[in-house]
Amino acid sequence: MAAPSAAGLGQRLRAWLPRIIPVRWSRYNPSYLEPEVKKELYQKPSEELTEEEREQMELKVVRPIKAAPPSLSSSVFSDPMISKFTNMMMKSGNKVLARSLMSQTLEAIKRKQLEKYHKAPENEKETIECNPYVIFHQALKNCQPIIGLSNITKGGKTYQVPVPLTDNRKRFLAMKWLITECRENKHRRTLMPEKLSQELLLAFNNEGPVIKKKHVLHKMAEANRAYAHFRWW
Amino acid sequence: MAAPAYPAWVTRWVSGQWRNKKRPPALRPPRTLALADKVANRREQPTEATCITEMSVMMACWKQNDFNDAPCAEEIRTFYDCVAKAEKERKNQNEDTLSSRGNLPSSKVNKLLKRFPQITRYV
Repeated sequence: MAAPSAAGLGQRLRAWLPRIIPVRWSRYNPSYLEPEVKKELYQKPSEELTEEEREQMELKVVRPIKAAPPSLSSSVFSDPMISKFTNMMMKSGNKVLARSLMSQTLEAIKRKQLEKYHKAPENEKETIECNPYVIFHQALKNCQPIIGLSNITKGGKTYQVPVPLTDNRKRFLAMKWLITECRENKHRRTLMPEKLSQELLLAFNNEGPVIKKKHVLHKMAEANRAYAHFRWW
Repeated sequence: MAAPAYPAWVTRWVSGQWRNKKRPPALRPPRTLALADKVANRREQPTEATCITEMSVMMACWKQNDFNDAPCAEEIRTFYDCVAKAEKERKNQNEDTLSSRGNLPSSKVNKLLKRFPQITRYV
């Protein structure tokens, strides 16, 4: 009789502990569902819904929903990559400043491209891309490394082994390189939107220091390709 | 005089049984001759690296084209496909089935053997 109650006590203690120990994540009961942000889903009449969507709607009637985080938005202007980049630019939680810098950067890109557009001759006007979001996404894609290096210790020595990267890691590295390049290697008195817009336009055309950094990483991976067998995954 | 009471080994020695190989068994098993419920701990060999051929093909293409990504798009795509497949393979690989080399690690073998032990006595 002592054994089952001891096990039950242990489980109950473990479930209760997070209430006295502060935890930094938002901890919901597993029955809570994610909030649905896409407005189009609710505007569709019920006949057009597929089977899974119908089941999902029925489940939402009975289950509680988690609170939507403030960064989640149903606006057409919100872009998860831009939000991620803004968060990475943010310092000491000053989201207002980071967001204004981001919008000024996009405006600067648009202005530069429009200037180029109006100065270009007629036949070249179609080739100039004026949408700053397209430029941002393409520049990020051009900056993403394809293969990375990781330190693997074998026989007492550490080797740099070429290793494939996950998508998240590639995106993070591209954004990190852009931001560090702008913060460190530019003239002290230039403002961030100007520096960032310049870097993004260079990266869009596959030029610039960030692309060079990516090429350096690829060259090192190529030089160390003999160690590729040290990987075990 | 009655039969002299020699110790048993004397009689055995005199009769020559010892030399004719009628000896007590030379092998005296210190443990019972039965299978134990566990396997010795063996160091698991690391699995091989995946996607090496695709990676080398991509790097050869890079060397030829001065590390530009545009001419090597096809090789890069095959490399990404291989990586995605290997990742999915790793995720789907159930721990209780055999690994890619066909071996079960000794810890899992021990767990299974503990669930189905050797029956030593019948009641």
